Amino acid sequence: MMPGETKKATYTIPIGPIHPALKEPVRLALSVDGEEIVDVDVFVGQVHRGIEWLGMNRNNPIQTIYLAERVCGICNICHPFAFVMAVEHATGITPPARAEYIRTIIAEMERIHSHLLWAGVAAHEIGFDTIFYLAWRVREEIMDLMEYVTGNRITKAMFQIGGVRRDITEEQFPRIRKSLDYYKSLFDQLKRVFLDDRTIRMRTKNVGILKKEDALKLLTVGPTARASGVTKDVRQDQPYAAYADLDIKAITPDMVSGTVIGDVYDRIIVRLLEVKQSIEIIEQCLEKMPPGPILAQPKMAVLLKTLTEAEGDGIGRAEAPRGEVIHYVRLEAGRETLTNWRIRAPTYVNLMCVPLILNGGQIADVPIAFASIDPCLSCTNRTVITDQALGERSVMDYEEMHRLSIQKTRELQR
Amino acid sequence: MEILSPEEIADSFKTTLRDGFIDAKIHRCEVAVRKNIFSTIWIYVKGEAFREAVEHLCKLQEHPHLAMISSCDLGEHIELIYHFTIYYGRHLEELSLGLRVNLPKSDLKIPTITDIIPGALFTERETQEMMGVEVVGIPDKRRLFLPEDFPEGVYPWRTDEKGPPDDVLRVLPGREPK
Amino acid sequence: MSLKAFKRALWVYHLNTGSCNGCDIEILAVLTPRYDVERFGIMLVGSPRHADVLLVTGPVVNQMVPRVKRIYEQTPDPKLVIVVGSCGIEGGVFYESYSLAGPVDQIIPVDVYVPGCPPRPEAIIEAVVKAWVKLEKAEQGVS
Repeated sequence: MMPGETKKATYTIPIGPIHPALKEPVRLALSVDGEEIVDVDVFVGQVHRGIEWLGMNRNNPIQTIYLAERVCGICNICHPFAFVMAVEHATGITPPARAEYIRTIIAEMERIHSHLLWAGVAAHEIGFDTIFYLAWRVREEIMDLMEYVTGNRITKAMFQIGGVRRDITEEQFPRIRKSLDYYKSLFDQLKRVFLDDRTIRMRTKNVGILKKEDALKLLTVGPTARASGVTKDVRQDQPYAAYADLDIKAITPDMVSGTVIGDVYDRIIVRLLEVKQSIEIIEQCLEKMPPGPILAQPKMAVLLKTLTEAEGDGIGRAEAPRGEVIHYVRLEAGRETLTNWRIRAPTYVNLMCVPLILNGGQIADVPIAFASIDPCLSCTNRTVITDQALGERSVMDYEEMHRLSIQKTRELQR
Repeated sequence: MEILSPEEIADSFKTTLRDGFIDAKIHRCEVAVRKNIFSTIWIYVKGEAFREAVEHLCKLQEHPHLAMISSCDLGEHIELIYHFTIYYGRHLEELSLGLRVNLPKSDLKIPTITDIIPGALFTERETQEMMGVEVVGIPDKRRLFLPEDFPEGVYPWRTDEKGPPDDVLRVLPGREPK
Repeated sequence: MSLKAFKRALWVYHLNTGSCNGCDIEILAVLTPRYDVERFGIMLVGSPRHADVLLVTGPVVNQMVPRVKRIYEQTPDPKLVIVVGSCGIEGGVFYESYSLAGPVDQIIPVDVYVPGCPPRPEAIIEAVVKAWVKLEKAEQGVS
């Protein structure tokens, strides 16, 4: 279809977010030719809160752990995890082995909760609200478990430089195992609901394809990259904490479907299988948990003094539910605050592959294709559509796009 | 592609870059019960030799993984560290490699690497807007995180006169100052 | 308060002004079968023009200020604003950041505050109920 021959497409109305509640603002500017998308531009910045500046100018390293937790409410274990590892790398403080195992258990619990959250949101984008409610109901079990173990549902404050703040004792193991058994019994049902449903297959197969070569060049991380066949997984390649004692294998979609295409369906496969892998990792950690202390330096005043006098820099890499998180920390002797602190969250990198995923697709596929990279700290706020033929710009509400998406599902079901 | 040890990698940089190479440091740490050892290699290069260093790295690993570019204001200089990892995809084999470049504040320029690694675009744009380093040849010069009406010439991560001015730094209205 | 206050359905619009999502997922959890506010008729809508209550989270990032004001104006009267989370009340942990415009009540008038980082779903339900009662009293005062 040549430009100039396109039919006129007018969309009206103002603004709306992509997820019903996860409205982290990001702007996508789409250029369409009729119904097909030819170009995408991404504008970020509406959630910039200056966290790194606060960490460098106001807080000492121990307070910065709690600031790092609030970078993202969904993946709020991986940021303090990477930060604490960076500080330990810089100062040479080594956490005891038991603390490493506890950290791993909490990180895997977070992965289960995040993937179930995503599964519900992805179902909502297609128009299956029933599955959305099912997935979030199932997720409540892991939230209860996290509250039982750490004391809170969301911001858990478990990390401390040199270890963890609370112990997981033997009396708590039976309750943890009960929750894991619940999930194991549900897993086949979840798999059937998501992977065998005819409509989900029609909406997600061959939609939003990211080829392996592009994923490597654009430095994609996490399940988005693994679904395209790139086996990057920090837990496998450069294991940290208790992963170094276990043998983790990066999950790729050919374990279920036999081939790797790199579409939205493959990403669903990868995330569901990772939930199963997480359950197995937690069980192994519970069996192999070594006895011992949970903090390398229990006295806060001594720890603070060590940190103020330490000099050096370090990096900490962790595998968040969305990909690789990296923190870089630099400490100078005599200075209480950090000299330099840099965070790179996984969605920051995955956003660069959004133009490739959306190009050539239809507008009705934008919600599910965009949600399939699991954006966090960024999400469509306002979509500006430029019809290339006429040069007309109109702002399209998410509601409209979501309605188109549901309409497509209903048409496919007929 | 063969797997080299950290010392061999550092030596290969030394031989390739000759004058451009300043120093290499290798940091090792043991992890958890099995005490696997993981290495981080820091390579200090001069600004002029930077692009050659990145091209050499691409020979060691096709598509090296660039995690981020971190920048630090050290008074007279700004130090940029390009955090790479190589040998990913293999169990226990990945190595972290940091390429460190020191730029004097009088000449804050560094060449882009987006033609070799297209994924470096966002992180180069961020360095440009937050630190004021000019990335020569970058295909997209726009701001990434800061709003368009943020004043020009003000770089939030700088600690010198170009940092955020005092009227921007204040306790939020509605809260009692300390 | 008694269940007599639950006579009408309250429609809620959620607005994120730059938060970390912790409060947002707790708001969403309130809709799910465990806490299930839909049995009271409380529903999340996609446009502020249909809303009775605005649920605002997050410290207001500078870029979001015009948007917050516009959404407040688009919501028809009578309306209520509920701020969820410590960030919106007084900045939370970000109280000295250079890129924030201030807590929500510096920009739009607020009726109910829910402290917490993030607050529990039960606290959010209580807040919506209190807002409901306030709205009913306001309507009775008017009519």
